[in-house]
Amino acid sequence: MSSIHEITLMLNGDPVEAAVAAHTLLVDFLRDSHALRGVKRSCDMQVCGACTVLVDGRPVSSCTMLAVDADGASVVTIEGLGGPDGLDPVQEAFLEHGALQCGFCTPGFILATKALLATNPSPSREEIVHHLSGNICRCTGYQKIIEAVESLAR
Amino acid sequence: MTKPATDTNAARADLLEKVTGRAVYASDISVPGMAHGRILRSAVPHARIARLDDAAASALDGVVSVLTGEDLPTLAHDRWGLFLNDRPVIAGEKVRYVGEPLALVVAETPEIAEAALDLIDVDYEHLPFVDDATAALAPDAPLLHERHESIADFYFKGQAKPVDGTNIFQNYGVSTGDVDAAERDAAHVFEQTYTFPGISHFAIEPHSVVAAFDGGRLTVWSGAQSPTAVQKVLSRVFGLALSDIRIIVPFVGGGFGGKASVKIEPLVVAAARKAGRPVRVALTLEESMLTCRRLGASITLRTSLDRDGKILAKRGTILLDGGAYADTGPAVAVKAAHCVIGPYDIANLEIEAKAVYTNTVPGAAFRSIGGPQAVWATESQMDEIAEAMSIDPVDLRHRNLLPRGGEILDSLRALDADIGEMLGQAGQAIASLGGGSAAGIAVAATDPGILPLGGSLVRVLADGSITVMSNSVDIGQGVRAVLRAVVAKTLNQDVGSIRVADPDTATAPFDWGTGASRSTVIMGLAVEDAAQDASDQILELAASIFDGAPNDLRLVPGGVARGEDVLSFEDLYHRAFGIDSGEVVGRAMVTPARKGSDFAKSPLFWETAVGTCDVELDEMTGELAVTRYVGVADIGHAINPAGAEGQEEGASVQGIGHALYEQLDYREGQPVNATPVAYRVPAAADVPQHAHTVLIENGDGPGPMGAKGMGEGGILPVAPAIGNALARRYGVRIRDLPMTPERIWRALRERDHDAS
Ligand code: FES
Ligand code: FES
Repeated sequence: MSSIHEITLMLNGDPVEAAVAAHTLLVDFLRDSHALRGVKRSCDMQVCGACTVLVDGRPVSSCTMLAVDADGASVVTIEGLGGPDGLDPVQEAFLEHGALQCGFCTPGFILATKALLATNPSPSREEIVHHLSGNICRCTGYQKIIEAVESLAR
Repeated sequence: MTKPATDTNAARADLLEKVTGRAVYASDISVPGMAHGRILRSAVPHARIARLDDAAASALDGVVSVLTGEDLPTLAHDRWGLFLNDRPVIAGEKVRYVGEPLALVVAETPEIAEAALDLIDVDYEHLPFVDDATAALAPDAPLLHERHESIADFYFKGQAKPVDGTNIFQNYGVSTGDVDAAERDAAHVFEQTYTFPGISHFAIEPHSVVAAFDGGRLTVWSGAQSPTAVQKVLSRVFGLALSDIRIIVPFVGGGFGGKASVKIEPLVVAAARKAGRPVRVALTLEESMLTCRRLGASITLRTSLDRDGKILAKRGTILLDGGAYADTGPAVAVKAAHCVIGPYDIANLEIEAKAVYTNTVPGAAFRSIGGPQAVWATESQMDEIAEAMSIDPVDLRHRNLLPRGGEILDSLRALDADIGEMLGQAGQAIASLGGGSAAGIAVAATDPGILPLGGSLVRVLADGSITVMSNSVDIGQGVRAVLRAVVAKTLNQDVGSIRVADPDTATAPFDWGTGASRSTVIMGLAVEDAAQDASDQILELAASIFDGAPNDLRLVPGGVARGEDVLSFEDLYHRAFGIDSGEVVGRAMVTPARKGSDFAKSPLFWETAVGTCDVELDEMTGELAVTRYVGVADIGHAINPAGAEGQEEGASVQGIGHALYEQLDYREGQPVNATPVAYRVPAAADVPQHAHTVLIENGDGPGPMGAKGMGEGGILPVAPAIGNALARRYGVRIRDLPMTPERIWRALRERDHDAS
């Protein structure tokens, strides 16, 4: 079988050292080795964005990234947002605007939104729509998702 | 619209789990000792399996077992179905579509199972195939099933009417009046054919099942919309008592009908039984696309009118492409036949709906079964008629609409909505979005096939927290929020104290299933009745303690009060039971005979919808965009207003997908775009910039607080409203969905050619 690699990364703010097989996908590493089940798996081919996580602040499809390539990076999943005493403002906005139904796409959308707002704190509707084009939601019709993100634009 | 605070709060608890990533879905379940299954699928549309050699796969290190057709004889029943006993648990002597499961490898890891699939050798003896419904009707068409075994009243009331020696598995007709005579008298007769393709559900969570035996008892975790249907089919296939089968349904990542009835559960359970271990099978989205789809349709309508634009008669011939196995297709045909009539006053009708087998992915329920297909035809034709007769399309509808209380068919309940008024509201709403001068419009009424059978338990615990047990499944429609709001109101408790447990057949009473927009009404009434039962019991207990009549007492948050005296539930139970523990269990089962309800006639309510939109066409490319969209729905009462609006918005955008680009495409029996990459569903950029939903609430529905069911109707008018807007503004009429740029571009060329 394939070789094992030692990697170190920051995972939701905590340092993590792990031994991973060369072919292990980041989504499996996060879900199976770290029980981060908020990372969702759907298309497995970088189409839907359900598996989106932040790698050094950028939104990445964890279904097509190898865990070894996260070596030295900072990885944030939905579990890493907010804190014991509250929700991240993006989570709060999605809640407030009813921007979710089944919720399976939601962690991906929230993290994609985090990344957008980090680089562009006041995106226009066009910019929001463009930025979220890699995330599919089959339930909501996007209207309330766009409204939620618009409400965060400063 | 002002939203009562409690309604928003009721929704918040579930949404909170979802935005934090804590919500557990079927694909998140893992159990100790679990092995992983991967499925080998047929590469050909129709063949005998001459040889299937799994020796090398079975010998691979880490492989636990391989389930194949050879294992079928070990089952109590090797085939299952809901209307027809037509589907083998795993392909036996033959395969009937590309993607049909042929073998299921169970291994220590998904990677090993995947690797083992490559080691399985299959020799096919090819058979002629048919991947088109019209061709499947031909006298010499290859037969998918040699004989038909229809089962009555199994999960749906009644039975399918297959035709022996053909591919027809359902044949349903509606006949009233004298269509021939009406056609002779008519001033105008219009005949057109409209087509609608097979469409993928594309629920974002693929089908995922974990099955575990413990001795003779079976537990299944599945994202199933109909847990009790799964339980029943498994009991037949494996010869187990219903009480030995437990179906647990966590949150479900989208259903839309694609997880209704029964899907991969029998297959996964068979694999777990053979492996002697718990087995998890989590499909990829691509595999889910090979598991089920909406039935495609070809619909010919012949509509006769008098000089004034009054419809005298309608003939409809509906042909549905049901795929390789019938599933709920027979019910789809019935709904399409009813829905194609439209909410119009038509005295003479001849409607025939046939559903046929083809060598394609099995058809299944999908949001408003049969409805979008039928409404696409009916409402497109209404505009074609209006144009030919030089009548305004809205006016033509007004001349023919049934009033509230009118009957679409005498066998069905009278119409419980005023569609004329809804048309008016749609017009106003689109005007206030700054458009509407050349808007397309469509109206629809559909009779959800609801079986009024579902129960629940409401348990009032000693500390004042409340557990609701129900088998209604949260598929994203927010049913738990609705149930919580109903219980809060009935028991006068804070919504925050109420928890709705995961559906679990071991603990919650029977419910027919989550679909057909039924949960708000049926489960809503069941929890309302159960809460009322709990309330009666609590007041009874309290009366003995307060030494008064139950009538002097009332429930207050956390307890019971008489005048200013308040007794907490804990103190009440303490005094009644001797310890400060215990609980009161309210129970209810809604049945067709429920007191105070009129469930004798179907449907329990009509799901009505009006859609209107403006479109913008790039005439160079044929690219069509919906710029404004308004949907109007009469839902009786919005128990969860934000949720109700979200359902309508989601339905309309799904409808835009159906209208403009979605189509499961077949060439030579091969699905050419059944992958998430090739199949396009709407993205954020495809959403109309200006959209609005109008909810009509007259409190006149049969559900709690006067609610009607909802969530499906919104998809019905979308495609014809878009097609009508395109025709009205740009002079091209498309009769075949989807309205792709290529189709529109060709139509534009023809238009210009005809004009010159
Ligand atoms: S699962 Fe990774 S993009 Fe869809
Ligand atoms: S909420 Fe279900 S896919 Fe987005």
